[in-house]
Amino acid sequence: MALTREEIVRLADLSRLSLTEAEMKRMEDTIDRVLTYVGRLSEIDTTGIPETEGDLEVRLRTDVVQATPELERTAIISNFPDKVGNSLRVPGVFEKPKG
Amino acid sequence: MAHLFDQTIRSAADGLKSGAFSSTELTKAYLSQIRGIDLSIHAFLDVFEGTALDQAHASDERRATGKTQGVLDGIPLAIKDNILIQDHRSTAGSQILANYRAPYDATVITKLRNAGSVFLGKTNMDEFAMGSSTERSAFGPTKNPRDPERVPGGSSGGSAAAVAADMAIASLGSDTGGSIRQPASFCGIVGFKPSYGSVSRSGLMAMASSLDQIGPMTKTVEDAAVLFEAIRGVDVLDQTTKDFGEVKYETRTDLKGVRIGVPRQAWGKGMTDGVREDAEAALKTMEEAGAELVDIDLPYADEALAVYYVLMPCEVSANLSRFDGMRFGQRETRPTLLETYQQSRGEGLGEEVRRRVMLGSYALSKGYYDAYYRQARKVQTLIRRAYSAAFENVDVIVTPTAPSTAFKIGEKLSDPLAMYLEDVYTVGANVAGIPAISVPCGTAEGLPVGIQFQGKMGGDGALLSIARVFEHVNL
Repeated sequence: MALTREEIVRLADLSRLSLTEAEMKRMEDTIDRVLTYVGRLSEIDTTGIPETEGDLEVRLRTDVVQATPELERTAIISNFPDKVGNSLRVPGVFEKPKG
Repeated sequence: MAHLFDQTIRSAADGLKSGAFSSTELTKAYLSQIRGIDLSIHAFLDVFEGTALDQAHASDERRATGKTQGVLDGIPLAIKDNILIQDHRSTAGSQILANYRAPYDATVITKLRNAGSVFLGKTNMDEFAMGSSTERSAFGPTKNPRDPERVPGGSSGGSAAAVAADMAIASLGSDTGGSIRQPASFCGIVGFKPSYGSVSRSGLMAMASSLDQIGPMTKTVEDAAVLFEAIRGVDVLDQTTKDFGEVKYETRTDLKGVRIGVPRQAWGKGMTDGVREDAEAALKTMEEAGAELVDIDLPYADEALAVYYVLMPCEVSANLSRFDGMRFGQRETRPTLLETYQQSRGEGLGEEVRRRVMLGSYALSKGYYDAYYRQARKVQTLIRRAYSAAFENVDVIVTPTAPSTAFKIGEKLSDPLAMYLEDVYTVGANVAGIPAISVPCGTAEGLPVGIQFQGKMGGDGALLSIARVFEHVNL
């Protein structure tokens, strides 16, 4: 069940992560070891066993627009990696070249 | 100033009430302790010299005018750095959040503020709570106060070390697979993970939302109960909180009538001799205090670790997708949007974090979802049923907290699986959602050993009461 380099590259892509060559090598080995370990679950007969749902009771609430408190707003804006005035600036999604 | 140290929440509250000392004196003492020894331990990432003293002064003023908020008013606490305190930095031990300013208070923080507590600072942790040693912090490891060449455990290693080294009277940690209990065990303090849903996760940076719980790390079981009472409760901001009703504590002086489940799966191989000796002695102590030891079978308990290392990475991969360098955190702009995401996350997130995100992506991807994620959810049902069945015949289930004592810094870094195996006794409680507490039970070669009590879902009061008796009779 060894993971190929190709699979690691695909996984990194899916996860939107970059890896150095050395990290890539370490991931190949370590991810494989973990997958082998957790693979033991496939030996367990779970016929007729439901997945754990948790006992979540959905408690909806009305969507009421509330003004964000000033302190909270200032902190949120201060965390913007790039901004124009009080607006967040992000790379264009439709810019070329597209990733 | 010596009288200001070695305090529990209880003793400090008594001292404040009697006027033996003020919160300002107490807070100054702890701040100076941090200044004195934290350079060598590195439990804290941020120390709030200014605001802590402001809070202490406010507490003293309330006391002077008869408006004390309760037993936690004026008590200095340390808070794990994945719990938001408004307007202070919150890093979750990660480079990607090195400059992140928390926009709001976590619900537990709001509750502690209302209770008048003093926040000394934020404690070090494995990055995004992923680790069992605090070596995966982007800001350097924390040392075990008992032996600075050893780890304090993780991921709440900073919170554990702060209390163990008397740099705080108590602290808050978070526990997803053992991250409160294992460091408590390694550092010789008490660490309690409440029943899932008892304590709000609003303002706790999410690791695995269906498993995470915030809990107290304290010097005594009684202190853990005091902090638990202050932080628990249904919260409109966290839909996973549940009303467990009033927490029923039992006044007991012994363990007569208590049935202690000893699961044969846990007590087999897998623990060091030092841990076994102390843990078996603890069982004997419980028996001498009147408890009945019951040998139990906990089927599928051996699978809890595998279930955890599927479910947790899956949830992690979803929860950490918000760290894309866009609205907050480190952004590494590149020519394309995709590369911007990859670089921001690649450089901002550590290797262990990226490993778990990738494991999660794998287990959730097309073709593997059924074999991994769905199967793990089914085995989780089997584990929950096994625990429920066991609790028909016993009141608590006891195991060692960790398979070993604190290992040396660097010893387990090269093999992630060896590190994951540290969680073998603790993950069961997270997978089943049940409450669990680690209490110091002795030392092996000078290093602390913890014994773990697990209770039934919602049975936090009974669990704490039993653990407290053990703590007292074990002295």
